[in-house]
Amino acid sequence: MTIRSDRDHGQHYRPRMSCLKKLEAIVVQMQDPSTGVKGSEQKLNVTTIPHAIAGQDIVAWISKHMNMDNDEAQAFGTMLAAFGYIYPLQDHKKLVLRPDGSLYRFQTPYFWPVQKSKAEDTDYAIYLAKRNIRKKGVLDAHEQEEYNKLHNWMNHKWDFIVMQAKEQYQAGKTRQKADRVVFDCQERAYWIVQRPPPQTHSAMDVLDRHIDPNTEEKKPYDYYRRIIIYTQQAVMRSRVKSTVSLGALVKYMATFMNHDPFLVPCLPSNPWLTDDDSYWELNMADVEVPTKMRVERWSFSFYELLNDPRGRSDFKIFLKKEFSGENLAFWEAAEELKWGTGASMSEKAEHIFKTFLAPGAPRWINIDGRTMGITVKGLEHPHRYVLDGAQTHIFMLMKKDTFYRYLKSPVYKEIQKKAISPVPHSFSDTQLQQNTRNRRLSISPIITWQKEQEEKAKAEAAAGPIDIKKLMASKLDRK
Amino acid sequence: MGKDECKTMLDALNKVTACYRHLVIALGSTSDSQNLREELKKTRKKAQELAVANRTKLTALLKDKSISKDDRAEYERLWVLFTSSMDLLEVDMKRSLEIGQDFPLKVPTRHLIQTGMTGSTTTVAARAMSVQNMKYEADANIDTVDLKELETEIAQVDQMMEEMEMKVQVAPWAVEAKQEAGAELKSTVSVGNSSVGVISICEEEPKETVEGESGMMKVLAGIIFTAVLLIAGILGYLVINL
Repeated sequence: MTIRSDRDHGQHYRPRMSCLKKLEAIVVQMQDPSTGVKGSEQKLNVTTIPHAIAGQDIVAWISKHMNMDNDEAQAFGTMLAAFGYIYPLQDHKKLVLRPDGSLYRFQTPYFWPVQKSKAEDTDYAIYLAKRNIRKKGVLDAHEQEEYNKLHNWMNHKWDFIVMQAKEQYQAGKTRQKADRVVFDCQERAYWIVQRPPPQTHSAMDVLDRHIDPNTEEKKPYDYYRRIIIYTQQAVMRSRVKSTVSLGALVKYMATFMNHDPFLVPCLPSNPWLTDDDSYWELNMADVEVPTKMRVERWSFSFYELLNDPRGRSDFKIFLKKEFSGENLAFWEAAEELKWGTGASMSEKAEHIFKTFLAPGAPRWINIDGRTMGITVKGLEHPHRYVLDGAQTHIFMLMKKDTFYRYLKSPVYKEIQKKAISPVPHSFSDTQLQQNTRNRRLSISPIITWQKEQEEKAKAEAAAGPIDIKKLMASKLDRK
Repeated sequence: MGKDECKTMLDALNKVTACYRHLVIALGSTSDSQNLREELKKTRKKAQELAVANRTKLTALLKDKSISKDDRAEYERLWVLFTSSMDLLEVDMKRSLEIGQDFPLKVPTRHLIQTGMTGSTTTVAARAMSVQNMKYEADANIDTVDLKELETEIAQVDQMMEEMEMKVQVAPWAVEAKQEAGAELKSTVSVGNSSVGVISICEEEPKETVEGESGMMKVLAGIIFTAVLLIAGILGYLVINL
């Protein structure tokens, strides 16, 4: 009894051989009497055996049929031999295709390599026993070794193996002499492929990668080194008390609760529910008058203000009044560098340097010496994130200082007064159905993008390099 | 006695398995033919019959709780022989199904692999069926029709093996073989005679056979024996005359 299942639970790591089916197709094509490989006869002592093919014929057929040159065709032929579809008649242990007159023969389909079932040890034992009979006890060295090994661990089946070997031998003897010779050659070739003798390279020679459960695999030095590095870094991570982090979470939720359309219905109405897109229309990026909720949201954090395009433009207006627009301009330029194309990076970096960072630049930003030094040095070989340090610094500056002034400024107060609060819709069923039918596509994003680009170009032309002298002059004037 | 019957049946099964393997090896090659498919079918059927007979006999013997320990060991050994034969048969049947499907006979462009084997396999089949000559009477589309039967038969064999494994509690690794390494060189005796010290016979011609072989071998041996006697007589006569 052998453990029988189609699923091989023995964890044999055999490589997948999807080439086998394709090779089989090619071998069948080679058999075609008109377009296949021409065979000749092999003359042994008394008998002649047909269907022997010369190596050069095979190579010529392959290169013609598969449109290859001779070297490739020879390599392909060697693969055919290594898998066992062709076997050499002379020098049977070397599974290579020689492109000369040396003879080969096709292997019978029974002995073709199969992915699913590897050659069983029982069969190999029977073969070795038969060979023992034929050679009257004188086996090759490696064969003798295998024989003894198999006898050792397949002892319980040994009776069967001996019986089968004898029977198969006797049955084989009832055939004609020529067929007997061919049969012996075939079987021998099969086992050379499946159990290659030393110094034979067979394509089926896959070492079954069993992991011996008794040996403990010695872990390499690198494995432990990585574990140490990981744990060290884990220890060094800053830890936050859960009271602190949860408190922050609660604060966030309390602030933003009213702005979440899932929790509080948004005004005028949720477009997904009522199919009326006034909410989106009212909250577009370039709208004149923002909604009250939006304006409230700008006061939550500087990040919210900057993220909202309407908020950013409002902030820009405020900064223009304050004559400190260079910070925001630098921040935007840095964003552009981060998200822009790779090709334009070096020219953008130069432009930024000239406009903002060079000593005496028209829009010089005020960052501390250390950051300035690092940034300038990085700009020699600019990459996407070279301005990150300076950008963060500027962001913090704006947040800590300008933002609070903005919230108290008349610009913001005015916008707060102007902001509209849309009336919530209440649609009846028929109106809802009407809305469904009235759905249209919104503006194409290409058009929005084009508008944005135009705005940007205008703004740039308008902004221009502000001369500090003129700036100071105008300030003094006002005073 | 039950044991001898078992042994003869196992011998027969063994022979049929060996012959079936020879036949399957010829499938798909240039010695493939209508006849070969029919031979395969017949051999297979015979193997099935033998298998069923063996199984019933052996399960009956093994279920009997009142047998001695030695007897039980012997039956377990026979059981291992039986299951190993069935394993080989099953593998060969599956393989013959695959190859039979890949190489149908009745297609206009038939490409059988030119393996160099051109002779027929009638002798092997005759040996399997224990007849002198094989009679072929199958119809033309045996290769496709037979394949369906083959599938069902494979399923049957699978089922039978599973049942056997469930019902019979035999530990195959505990069986000790009676033959030692290199025993195949010693003699061509059957499983009935387990002693090793029999005369070593050259395997070229089966001149003498011990009891347990099939009838055909006996007839052949008898013929050769008489032929040798005749030749000896003639030579003696010539020597005397000269």
